[in-house]
Amino acid sequence: MPILDFLLPQQGKKQKVILLGSGALSIGQAGEFDYSGAQAVKALEEENLKVIIINPNIASVQTNKGKNRAIYLYPITPFWVTKVIQIEKPIAIISSFGGQTSLNCVIKLAKNGVLQKYNVKVLGTQIDSLEISENRELFAKQMKTINAPIAKSYAVSNLAEAIEKADNIGYPVIIRSAFSLGGLGSGFAQNITELTNIVKVSLMNSPQVLIEKSLHGWKEIEYEVMRDKLGNTITICNMENFDPMGIHTGDSIVIAPCQTINNIENNMLRDMAINIAQSINIIGECNVQYALNPKHYEFFVIEINARLSRSSALASKATGYPIAYIAAKLVIGFELLELQNPVTKTTSAFYEPSLDYVTLKVPRWDLNKFIGVSKNLGTQMKSVGEVMAIGKNFCEVVQKALRMVNENEDGITAPMFSNATDTELESELLTPTNLRIFAIYEAFKREHTLDYIHQKTRIDKWFLSHLMYIANTEKKLKTFFSKLSMINNKTIITEYNIYNTYSKISKDYLMHLKSLGFSDFQLTQIVLSQCCNLKLKLSIQSIRKLSFGVRKLRKQLGILPVVKQIDTTSSEYPTRSNYLYLTYDGIYNDVVKRKQGNKRIITLGSGSYRIGSSLEFDWCSVMTSQYFKNRNNDSIIINCNPETVSTDYSASDRLYFEELSFERVLDIIDIEKPKGIIACMGGQHPNNLINPLSKAKVNILGHNNQTVDDAENRTKFSSILDKLKINQPEWTSAISYDEVTNFINRVGFPVLIRPSFVLSGTLMNVANDKQSLDHYLSLTKNISIDAPIIISKFIIDAKEIECDGVAKNGEVIVSFVSEHIENAGVHSGDATMVFPPQKLYTRTVNVIKDTVRKIVKELHLHGPFNIQFIAKNNDIKVIECNARASRSFPFISKVANINLAEIACKVMNNENINKIILDESEIQHVGVKASMFSFQRLDGADPIVGVEMASTGEVGCLGINFNHAMLLAMEATKIIKPHKGILLSIGREKAKVKFMEIIDNIYNLNIPIYATKGTANYLESNGYKVQIVHWNRVPRAVDMIVNGKIDFVINISKNLSVNELYNNSLIRKIAVKSGCSILTNLEKAIAYFKAYDSYNDLYAIDNCISL
Amino acid sequence: MKRCTCILNRNLKRAYLQLSNGIKLSGFSFGANREVSGEMVFNTGMLGYSEAMTDPSYLGQILIFSFCMIGNYGVPFPLRNIMSQGYESNSIKTQGIVVSNIYNGCYHHEKGITLNTWMKEQGVPGIVGVDTRYLVQLVRKSKNLFGKIYTKDSTLQERKKFSFLSHFRNNEYIDPSKYNLMPSISVKTKVTMGNKYATKRVAIIDCGIKWNILRMLIQRNCKIELLPWDNDFSKINCDGWLISNGPGNPKNTGDLVKRIREQLLVSNKPILGICLGHQLLALAAGSNTKRLSHGHRSHNQPVFSLPEKKAYMSSQNHRYSVERDSIQDEWNLWFENANDHSVEGLKHKTKPFISVQFHPEASSGPNDTSWIIDYFVNLL
Repeated sequence: MPILDFLLPQQGKKQKVILLGSGALSIGQAGEFDYSGAQAVKALEEENLKVIIINPNIASVQTNKGKNRAIYLYPITPFWVTKVIQIEKPIAIISSFGGQTSLNCVIKLAKNGVLQKYNVKVLGTQIDSLEISENRELFAKQMKTINAPIAKSYAVSNLAEAIEKADNIGYPVIIRSAFSLGGLGSGFAQNITELTNIVKVSLMNSPQVLIEKSLHGWKEIEYEVMRDKLGNTITICNMENFDPMGIHTGDSIVIAPCQTINNIENNMLRDMAINIAQSINIIGECNVQYALNPKHYEFFVIEINARLSRSSALASKATGYPIAYIAAKLVIGFELLELQNPVTKTTSAFYEPSLDYVTLKVPRWDLNKFIGVSKNLGTQMKSVGEVMAIGKNFCEVVQKALRMVNENEDGITAPMFSNATDTELESELLTPTNLRIFAIYEAFKREHTLDYIHQKTRIDKWFLSHLMYIANTEKKLKTFFSKLSMINNKTIITEYNIYNTYSKISKDYLMHLKSLGFSDFQLTQIVLSQCCNLKLKLSIQSIRKLSFGVRKLRKQLGILPVVKQIDTTSSEYPTRSNYLYLTYDGIYNDVVKRKQGNKRIITLGSGSYRIGSSLEFDWCSVMTSQYFKNRNNDSIIINCNPETVSTDYSASDRLYFEELSFERVLDIIDIEKPKGIIACMGGQHPNNLINPLSKAKVNILGHNNQTVDDAENRTKFSSILDKLKINQPEWTSAISYDEVTNFINRVGFPVLIRPSFVLSGTLMNVANDKQSLDHYLSLTKNISIDAPIIISKFIIDAKEIECDGVAKNGEVIVSFVSEHIENAGVHSGDATMVFPPQKLYTRTVNVIKDTVRKIVKELHLHGPFNIQFIAKNNDIKVIECNARASRSFPFISKVANINLAEIACKVMNNENINKIILDESEIQHVGVKASMFSFQRLDGADPIVGVEMASTGEVGCLGINFNHAMLLAMEATKIIKPHKGILLSIGREKAKVKFMEIIDNIYNLNIPIYATKGTANYLESNGYKVQIVHWNRVPRAVDMIVNGKIDFVINISKNLSVNELYNNSLIRKIAVKSGCSILTNLEKAIAYFKAYDSYNDLYAIDNCISL
Repeated sequence: MKRCTCILNRNLKRAYLQLSNGIKLSGFSFGANREVSGEMVFNTGMLGYSEAMTDPSYLGQILIFSFCMIGNYGVPFPLRNIMSQGYESNSIKTQGIVVSNIYNGCYHHEKGITLNTWMKEQGVPGIVGVDTRYLVQLVRKSKNLFGKIYTKDSTLQERKKFSFLSHFRNNEYIDPSKYNLMPSISVKTKVTMGNKYATKRVAIIDCGIKWNILRMLIQRNCKIELLPWDNDFSKINCDGWLISNGPGNPKNTGDLVKRIREQLLVSNKPILGICLGHQLLALAAGSNTKRLSHGHRSHNQPVFSLPEKKAYMSSQNHRYSVERDSIQDEWNLWFENANDHSVEGLKHKTKPFISVQFHPEASSGPNDTSWIIDYFVNLL
């Protein structure tokens, strides 16, 4: 019997199994769990199980409604899971598909007896095994029983002991001070003298120090292991970090399979991984991490994860082997040999994939979005997303990956460090930041040696030598072009010049350049860099256009990329895999199965997750692709993000795991010749391709290029609004400092400054006074005609409202209005959103809908859209219009029970569709969407929200009323009811007054209340008793937080000016670091504490809302 | 349009791969500038190229590596002794190799030489820049495929290198399964190895043994007598027999099968057959062998042990296989392939005779079945 007995249907009724998700995306726990969860749901439903999903991540694919599943959008906490257990009476629970959150929750439920009480079995790896994997001490003990080496670590309290232990471990050692801030008293020691110096210092600051073996410069290697209940074990994939030990794997560039180890090392580590899985009795999947000595055969086990992980998602995408799907089958009792390899459909699932390509993962950091965060990389993960490139050689994948991960198209050749001094370069090599690879490249261009760079970075020379080769090739090309008189004295360069220039090099060499991963764009830039007489710096659009010269030449010469399949077997067995990539290192296309007829539709995915573009756009892409797939179209996806569901082989008819670049999308269009391309469902990144693609005569489905341009171009859009007599905040596009001053003299402070669309990447900010204005202007480049700056009047205390919908030929098919809790000034991606709106008058909603109709008609919108408004005293102004699917699409769709993405697909497919009339008031539940911040992971970052988005994820919870939904959404984003003490620090006078609305709810908590001086005075004058704390005098606020007297901080700044922020950022940073709940927005705090009226009511509830 | 090729061309010589089905691919030459021909075979293992290239089972074959980058960690410094890993025999046994990319460096701590230098020293040619995935598909789809690697000025391979090569005319594709390869690959005289005072003595019929089998037996404290394939086995004093792996068709081995039947199977001394040895043992026991439609040549072959009901990953390199229907009554099917259910191991019902089609000595590949060697040593 393959499936466990108790999971078989009883009396014709399906058994229920709880699957926990991972909640909101945060740094370290991101989209990979939507992917693994979605695969698990599929695997379980196939076996006649009813899946109960608990996950507040409303934008995830796994929380889509289905026939055989129930979705609970609740916080993943023992309390709520227990409630669901009481309601659903499941037979079993699965812990391993929702990351650490899910694992911790199941361990707690086992420990507090709930699982036993309700007779819920844990499927897969059992609790005692999970505990071994989680507990350092138990793990060490277990590893000893199988002679698995682990790095020694000792706590010592005096110098003599430190010397003794260091001798025992062997130099070099790391000294870590147990309680140090900012690494004081920590460091490396190569010998006894260095050790003595460091330990003396650290013991002055701390009673204890840790002495550990230094693994600095060791290789970091991982294995993904699958094991069934009989003990059949395989390793799916091994992966090697480009960055040696010391940088979190999540922040490392990772190559799969391993490249610098030999057969002996591979099998030594593989054998150990299998032994460990055996010894801990893993059922399902686990991941083993090693440190491998680069100098001789020696290794240490670093840790294991007895669950699906970021690495397992990556390994799935790297190999094509659906790890989560198979793992789900294993945890319900299947054996590996009973299962088929779903890619080949002929061979066994007991199979270790063989690759005939390499994959490279590069993390995406958005450190610029956070105020004050250090850019140095270390053991704490900081990246918010990742991409994976597939190719046939390291040069090709590193070039592809670096283009995928940023919006700019110049990849590794981007001149990030061209102005850096040698000293700056050296320090970048020694102390890695998110830009180190660019520094390495620059160092090679400056002819630093392989040995020098290896010595500084400790990166294996195999990797470095490839980077050196690319750098040398670029230089060689430049030298060659610099001598070509046909280009270097030109003042204007045309496409034909580019064509001609590359005609001067041999076909073989051009082919070689392409197989080294150079894009046409980069090749064009290389020519342009040698045109010394060129006056203007060309825009991306112009370079793109010129790059057609290279493209034309290539096509003439037959230098085209070929399509290759990922099939898990390196072609040893025939497969019909639909998982594809392109490479220049090959001459034959694999034979790929295609549906008959010309009904091919290509959906462009969202690329790397990043601040501002996350899971929700993957949801939209998946919905789109599946819509067309199910209607017998040949549905194709292009995406390069390994954490996504859209890059699962079953989400489309064909998946191109490829760059979302102009060149690559055109390559795929040349191969597939599709009926149309959908670029408006994957967020801003693919949306930006609409313009160049339609200029290249590609058929874009949905809004046409003119519409998109009208909506996105600030000047055009504003004049359209003026024409329609629709209100908008006063604004100007200033091309000189005088114009800025004139505008401000007219409208007054505060003003919102934002970069025009040419200057992407610089920050959006609110200036309250001349000082902050000057500060922000100093951050941007010179203001000029080519780089104007957009300034608009910033309206304080205004409400922000959004309208999401779908239009067809300029007519609204469906639209829904939602409101923000926070006043305008908080980025819509960070704001808390309520749907249906609770505080809007019907009249306001009607005015908004009317305005929407006008805009939709004028822009002739044809597809998904999102329009944002601000409202103050019944005065409604439009702030922006996105002619694409928005972040709130899945939230609105799930709350309204009307799938906006699907309607958009119908429109784009030109199907007949009737207007959908559903009034917001007819919606059954109230939904609150709240943002998740990852400040705790970002050392030094100020946890303040403003016009620039900073959240990394979101949740959406449902309630019978607003209060319920609000409390749930806050709990799901780690705003927890205070128990110890609460600190109040309210800036503005007006805010203090407003705050009095909830002061009784706070006093009713019956916990100590602390306040900073101004706030305390105000409270006392109103008759409330409070304990005063100070910034810099005893009793200090930060001490109370660090000592655990305070577990909730409400800190509302006066405004977002630089000085104000600087003053109280310390309180906020310490609060975040100490794990306090923190609210920095007045309206959000008021809504939250007002909801406490319903607190008892909510927590006593017997029935939970399920989808 | 005049093209400038002088400055920016790759400093590599064009090489060609002519296949027996008429297809000709071009690439670049590396290793020795020699013209060779042989049977086209592929291996999908991602590591272990030096082990594969020195594996005597590849005699007479041109090996295609399906993995896209070969040579990443170089080749370990030429042979200190038989115990040092990385080599499975004393020289490259493949006729030549076909790769997509080679790495021309060596930064591994086993400081050795680059793959290119090694192949030059050994007189073995390679062709790089070939779409190996396409080639693997061609090999998989054709019954027999032969190929020739050459450049416009390559010299013909020394025919004296292996004696069977002298059977072929210069323009003929070398088909290793046509002739008995044993005289080319087996030791010429008896060789003794291992601990002189060891109590367990293993006699090995050398059909082209991989050194890791020897290493594993020596590590398990065995004394080894490595015998030429045409030795008289009846006079050998030992505790057990090992019939080694090797190249070619098991039926094309002279009177070896007959001698195994008459000189080994009559006694009760333990026998272990590996790969070709397994096929020879099966033939001697009355079973039949056949040519598989395409060989198993990878590190990820799943084998299932019927008595244990457990599966293992194994390393394999063979084209011939024992016919399942021909297994004699006194024998049990021990292992089968989980993909195509072909015979992967046999075990005698009463006598200590065992044989496996896969490589328990791995090298290269997974060590999951190394316990077979322990099992055999315990029988002694």
